[in-house]
Amino acid sequence: MSPFFGMGHPEAVTLLSSEPLPDLGRMQSERLMLLQQRMADQAVAGAVLLHGPHVAYATGYVTSAVDSTHAVHDRAVAIIGAQGPAHLFANDPPPALIAETHLPLSPELDESIPELADALRMVIDGRDRPRIAIDELTGAMLRSGLFDDFDTVDASRVLGPARLLKTEDELACIDRAQRINEVAMEEVRGFCVPGTRRSQLAAVFVNRVRELGVEDILIDPIFQPMPKNRSDPPRTSTGHVAFPTGVGDPTFAEGDVVWVDTGIDVEGYASDYGRTWIVGREPNQAERTLFARWAAVMDASLRAIRPGATLAEVARAATKADGGLRPWLPHFYLSHGVGVESAEMPMIGTDLGYSFDENFTLKTGMVLVLEPVTWEDGVGGYRAEEIVAVTEDGWRPLGGQPGYSPFDT
Amino acid sequence: MTDQLMAARRQRVQTAMAEREIQALVLGRQDNVGYATGMRRLWTSGTRPFGAGCVLIGATGRAHLLSSWDSGVPESVPFDDLYPLTWNPEIMGGAMKAIEGLPTAHRIGVDACSPGFIRAASRFAPKAEIVPCDDLMADVRSIKLDEELDLIRRACQVAWAGVNAVLDQPKHELPLSLALTATTNQGATIPSSKPIVRFDGNATIVDIGVIVDLYEGGVGGRFVDGHREGNPHLAGACRDGATHDDLAASATGRWLVRGLGMGYETPVLDPTRGRDCTLRTGMVLSVTDGDHRDVVAVREGPPDVLSVNSRTVAGS
Repeated sequence: MSPFFGMGHPEAVTLLSSEPLPDLGRMQSERLMLLQQRMADQAVAGAVLLHGPHVAYATGYVTSAVDSTHAVHDRAVAIIGAQGPAHLFANDPPPALIAETHLPLSPELDESIPELADALRMVIDGRDRPRIAIDELTGAMLRSGLFDDFDTVDASRVLGPARLLKTEDELACIDRAQRINEVAMEEVRGFCVPGTRRSQLAAVFVNRVRELGVEDILIDPIFQPMPKNRSDPPRTSTGHVAFPTGVGDPTFAEGDVVWVDTGIDVEGYASDYGRTWIVGREPNQAERTLFARWAAVMDASLRAIRPGATLAEVARAATKADGGLRPWLPHFYLSHGVGVESAEMPMIGTDLGYSFDENFTLKTGMVLVLEPVTWEDGVGGYRAEEIVAVTEDGWRPLGGQPGYSPFDT
Repeated sequence: MTDQLMAARRQRVQTAMAEREIQALVLGRQDNVGYATGMRRLWTSGTRPFGAGCVLIGATGRAHLLSSWDSGVPESVPFDDLYPLTWNPEIMGGAMKAIEGLPTAHRIGVDACSPGFIRAASRFAPKAEIVPCDDLMADVRSIKLDEELDLIRRACQVAWAGVNAVLDQPKHELPLSLALTATTNQGATIPSSKPIVRFDGNATIVDIGVIVDLYEGGVGGRFVDGHREGNPHLAGACRDGATHDDLAASATGRWLVRGLGMGYETPVLDPTRGRDCTLRTGMVLSVTDGDHRDVVAVREGPPDVLSVNSRTVAGS
């Protein structure tokens, strides 16, 4: 048995984290330093950030989890120079931020572009066609020509490398988000009975999470009854199953195999809880066999994780453990990172290809969400997710490891 | 949502493309994709990085959608017109190149953009000029079709269900949970805006926004003994031809008048924004004045209030 499964005690799920509580001020200043280092590495004179997770990373300002249209029109903007404080343009920023705060900008609107230009000049010297990192050009920004005199590059070029290695405070945020998510979902599981609708489970989840002090749900809670065969509808481009479709409000029937997936936000950091539940009955022998295969894949993957290992080594270990099959959904990955976004680098086993995986080396501070899938046509699939942080001597779990009920571990 | 509505919306977009001489329109914002095609996708909160979620081609009249499966894809888009999710920019570039009419386009419209997309477009459509078309989509969307009004009314009813649940149990410890349970049980598992419930003396202040069937509904108010206080003039001032000055003169508190349809839309008017905007018949607006919020459709005369509480109507 792997060390991971040895820790699985449903009754032991607790909010009392083994992690120290995050020091938010320290987290903000360390992230800004990392970002400005990456900017210096690539001769980037400034960054203009409109994407919520980027703004959160650079300034500590976390927007509410609202519809994308609201997020766009009410968005916060961050402008970062080569040195000095982060500049945040937002409505009602909380007082504890180390960023310098300013009145909000509305980069969706043509009328607000002069204010954006002023803000830019405050931080970035526009002479000699400086290179700036930017994550989105709105229609108004394009029309204005404001950025024509800059050498613009995608902001992910500087934010990606900065975000890859998590500080202790970032890890503590992920750990806390994951524990709260787990506690809520372990309770929701009891409501997943024949005749219940997805929306009813979503209501239980949303409310339990709120009781635990978290307001922000990052993803419409997924409780998706899965087909038994890869060829069953919906039709896919991969020949494997479609997940997560996020469409409809299915009513669960006895025997349904339901893949669940939820995510919440703590201080800008995402959790990611995935499990396979069975409605109204115990798993049968064939389903237990699928789970045993999944557990073997998880075990083998974990054993391969250590600083210096390549992503390809982890993928190979997982594949070998499932008898040469690639035990993950072909449109996704064996594993992805998590941080200010629910899925970020490093990703293992994507269509970036083998050479990408071969050339990417794990380092201490990276976070992996392993989400293997084992499949047998006629039976269905088992899918669950676990989060680990790469440590100097291997890895450690983030979250409270609540187990895999109704599957025994 | 009927096929007729989806077809009518798509036709409006295609017509606007032709008027602006846009041969291909690349949409990254999911609400624009939903408007142009009727596609439904897993809801995730907040902003998304720009990527080609949908490509509309003028010459072929086809809509190409980013999806690895046909779930959530309307019947009007055949499976062969889907291009799958990818992490690999080379594969995405290849998918763009394979769309008939995109590599040969001279003017490619976009609803937003990124430096990476501009570089990629220079490879898959080397002759093309990138033209901002957020305003094209905003203009088309701002004037609502009749069925859209019905969908917004229905979404407002779901928002009211949340408000009524709070008012029905005034002593409940977790009033927000009541609201969210009520809206979620009507299938609206996602809020559109941050839900608000707070108490001020004997008054309960509630504001709920939801997305139902891709359309937004919302309502807010200050309630005493279950009745909403005040009847601000701001909503009534939302008539054809009304200007920023007209609205500012009618507002009594902190105010916001903004487009509402498939979420938050333009125009946006508040004390500092939208000074050059004029309201037009057919716009639908979320009208907030202090704690009070209604959704109205602009008319020549008094606006149609779409956020009518059906319970009040039934009881009156």
